[in-house]
Amino acid sequence: KMAAAVRGALRRLWRPPAARRGLAKSAGPRSVRQLREAEEAAPVFQYAGKAAKRKDRVFVWGFCYSGALGIPSFVKPDAGWKKPRRIQSTPYRLETEEKISSAACGYGFTLLSSSTTDITKVWGMGLNKDSQLGFQRSIRDRTKGYEYVLEPSPIPLPLEKPQQTRVLQVSCGRAHSLILTDSEGVFTMGNNSYGQCGRQVVEDETYSESHLIHQLKEFDSRVVQVVCGQDHSLFRTKKGAVYACGWGADGQTGLGHYNITSVPTKLRGDIAGVNIIQVSSYGDCCLAVSDEGEVFGWGNSEYLQLASVTETTQVNVPRHLPFKIGKIKEAACGGTGNVVLTEEGNVFVWGYGILGKGPNLIETAEPEMIPPSLFGWSDFNPDIRVAHVRCGLSQFAALTNRGELFVWGKNLRGCLGTGRMEDQYFPWRVTIPGEVVDVACGVDHMVGMVKSFT
Amino acid sequence: LNAAPGRAPRQRVRFLPAPAGGDGVATGLVATRVPMLADHPLVRGPRFRRLKIGAGHRLDVKASGVFVLGVGHGNKLLTDLYNCHLTKVYTVSGLFGKATDDFSDMGKLIEKTTFDHITREKLERILAVIQGTNHKALLMHSNIDMKTQEAYELAVKGLIRPMGKSPPIITAIRCLQFALPEFQLEIHCLHETQQYLRKIVHEIGLELKSSAVCTQVRRIRDGVFTLDDALLRTHWNLQSIQNAIRECQLKVQIELEKTLG
Repeated sequence: KMAAAVRGALRRLWRPPAARRGLAKSAGPRSVRQLREAEEAAPVFQYAGKAAKRKDRVFVWGFCYSGALGIPSFVKPDAGWKKPRRIQSTPYRLETEEKISSAACGYGFTLLSSSTTDITKVWGMGLNKDSQLGFQRSIRDRTKGYEYVLEPSPIPLPLEKPQQTRVLQVSCGRAHSLILTDSEGVFTMGNNSYGQCGRQVVEDETYSESHLIHQLKEFDSRVVQVVCGQDHSLFRTKKGAVYACGWGADGQTGLGHYNITSVPTKLRGDIAGVNIIQVSSYGDCCLAVSDEGEVFGWGNSEYLQLASVTETTQVNVPRHLPFKIGKIKEAACGGTGNVVLTEEGNVFVWGYGILGKGPNLIETAEPEMIPPSLFGWSDFNPDIRVAHVRCGLSQFAALTNRGELFVWGKNLRGCLGTGRMEDQYFPWRVTIPGEVVDVACGVDHMVGMVKSFT
Repeated sequence: LNAAPGRAPRQRVRFLPAPAGGDGVATGLVATRVPMLADHPLVRGPRFRRLKIGAGHRLDVKASGVFVLGVGHGNKLLTDLYNCHLTKVYTVSGLFGKATDDFSDMGKLIEKTTFDHITREKLERILAVIQGTNHKALLMHSNIDMKTQEAYELAVKGLIRPMGKSPPIITAIRCLQFALPEFQLEIHCLHETQQYLRKIVHEIGLELKSSAVCTQVRRIRDGVFTLDDALLRTHWNLQSIQNAIRECQLKVQIELEKTLG
């Protein structure tokens, strides 16, 4: 009787199959076929198309208080609790509206220019106490100008055809700047107490908040390169001639005298009749490279820069420097040291200071080669060559054909960009997220023009 | 090993009585060399009961290639080789278009991307940058004061290397083959793990605005030992092992003397 009752209870509990709920199957390990199908069904994302172009970027690093880096938050932070940044020791991205084709660093200020046909072609930031960035009208008081420009601000140029002329190159000295255009000559602005702007010196002229931008057009042919020394200016024309004006006490104008020159005058001496393809200067010494690979120098020689030809410490006429190191492609002058690049891609340094061959080499009058293995050359990478050399006041920079930037020299206020504050006695790589196309060196800051990788 | 003829038993000089003359007359003692009883194989037992085998640098389950083992005295040589901090060379194969959670193609799929915009030139540019930043890390972790003349001279010769603990550093990297979506790299590195190499492949994919997974990691050189010295699975027998040890002895000794002095 108990068994019948249990059987009856069981029969009642048994539900017909049609009323059973269809519960989901438990998720066991998926089979290979399921995984493959899931993989094929997954959506494909596209981050860059086939025609994706490499972007052009500008990086800045060095001393921030002068505003020369162009990032206002370094000097005047956005939030009250943040402290102003004194030194930016690694490259920092600077956002620009246009693609910057040329940059130049002066003594506490920077100029950026783009080869566009828009109205605004040149931007400036940093010190403006001598109107080296033109007249920057203050927003608070419309009659006064800014003494420090913290952001890249447009520089209005008095162009005749503003929508056709293109700015080719800019250059900055201690307190003056030069802007080279393709059809309207050279524009100069800033301090003119030594005639470095190419116009007559006016006694007791106040250079701050000045609207004056001078235009220079009388050269034997079109000007193709402008270079600013500390207080002098050099112009190289298409025919291979070099003109100079400005302070000449060290003979850096190369005109045969030690006075100031206020009108650009053609240089003679050993470069008369020679086709010069590049000029360089930053301090008081100047170098010029001819199309045959010969190098000429003039100016200050207190640091053995020209000691290979003369014992005098000031050379006021261009002299040929008889170096037997091969055909020279490019030269760069710093404050106390010089560097040249030969056709084979070797880098030679001479002068005084941290030259890049270890702490033992402080000064030399004859060029010494920097071993290519320091620039990344090895049996594994035999095609690495140095493509360009640049000089700041006490630092050097070299660009390789792979787009790597190597710096060495005195690390004044973090200008080397290595992230450390110590001086660098041999070439050291700077980590920049991109391929470095060009770099401009200043006294305590540097600007790099970079193309992104992809 | 135990079956091989062992060392000859040591001999000992014993003074034994000379064979008797015939009459039983007391004769003098003659010195003869007699094998010691303590060296008799039945007393001594088998020569090798256990072998101490140590392993060199790790090789994980999904990777393949040269794996160095040391036997007996070789373990001490292994520690010395480890202190030499020599580079290892790997061939790493990757595949563009996929991203997985453990950076290899057996992992769970996270994302699929397009990869037709990738060219060999872009890949080589990324590899040059990786090499550059790792070269910088090499100089920084070697704990040499950069301001000295010796540091400059070592840097010129390319001999600066971290001689202590350091994060993984790639000393050289180049692309061997490139056929979309596959590619193969040769990587020379220090203090790395195979998972780090897979992560590098994943990061290369990210830099190229796509994604990549690693399909194969193969070590082709570990310090002085190359693929030619390595024994295949079929050669894991006593004779080949003994030959291999004999051949590598000289190489290892030279390398140790050169680096550790």
